[in-house]
Amino acid sequence: MNIDTKKIKSMLDRKGRMKIFLSVCASCGACADSCFYYRNSGDPESTPSYKALNSLGIMFRKWKKLDYDDLTAMKKLIWGKCVMCRRCYCPLGIDISSAISWARTICRANGVYEDFSEGPSGIKDK
Amino acid sequence: MVIARIKPIEEILGFISGKKSVLVVGCAGCTAVCLAGGQREVDSLIVDLKDNKGVIFDGYTMERQCEMEFVAELDHLIDGFQAVLSMACGAGVQFVAERFPGMPVFPALDTVFVGANREVGQYQENCRCCGDCQLAYTGGICPVALCAKGIYNGPCGGSRNGKCEVDEKTACAWCQIYERLKDQGRLDQIMNIKKPMKWKNQTQGTLVQRGYEKFQQD
Repeated sequence: MNIDTKKIKSMLDRKGRMKIFLSVCASCGACADSCFYYRNSGDPESTPSYKALNSLGIMFRKWKKLDYDDLTAMKKLIWGKCVMCRRCYCPLGIDISSAISWARTICRANGVYEDFSEGPSGIKDK
Repeated sequence: MVIARIKPIEEILGFISGKKSVLVVGCAGCTAVCLAGGQREVDSLIVDLKDNKGVIFDGYTMERQCEMEFVAELDHLIDGFQAVLSMACGAGVQFVAERFPGMPVFPALDTVFVGANREVGQYQENCRCCGDCQLAYTGGICPVALCAKGIYNGPCGGSRNGKCEVDEKTACAWCQIYERLKDQGRLDQIMNIKKPMKWKNQTQGTLVQRGYEKFQQD
């Protein structure tokens, strides 16, 4: 399946502030303890900053080269490891949940989304 | 979570009768999980509505329609549309309508109850949001939602062999409460007569969590 990279670019352009926010992430890891997913699993991929940088961050960095598989691969991260409780905290003031939320919206606009007929997590392989 | 189901298509068509352009707005929260109003259902509804010639349909799904920051994503999208069909629960529909007071916002779903996911596509009502939770005394079984009479001091005289007189296939909630408390050695929990419930859910509910009162005043 094809995705519309121009549409992705226009959606990214609407959130220029998020690009700046993500670029100032110091990878301090302070956000980790505010995420119940990380606290329960200890899985470094559940760290809020990891989820934001490896979804919306990748979209900003390589929007021209993105394909359907790239977006599908993000499903496990942005839906499988985030419930959008919006409790993630960043000492630098980065709105991490909004970044993950926008990554989800961009995925949806390109036909990649959670499917709850697959199971309660909305994805096949959690 | 909130459980909803799609309205009959004829009713939805009646809402948008005479409109030339309609935005179908999905919610990726509860109604997506209960297979009623997520992205997939938005796409599906647009296909069903497209038989309606001469009307332009577009779809957009946000994280949650019950959070204004997400609803604001519609600000740049909504111009040019004559109506919005919301696929959220009643709370989400009202939030979208509040954000765009000049725009007719119609519900595409019927919000039916707060329930649990038994299996994919199968949901059970477990809570009536009565605002006076009794589960601590009733072994974790709700007499308001699961008893046909919603009584606080049961069982009634219609309980037969653990079944309800309203429907013989339905378990008597008060028998289940009795059996569970007996197993746990907590029958004393239901020996005292409970006062009539407060029916707090008869007025509009607003909840401010402890510690957040100051922010509400600001």
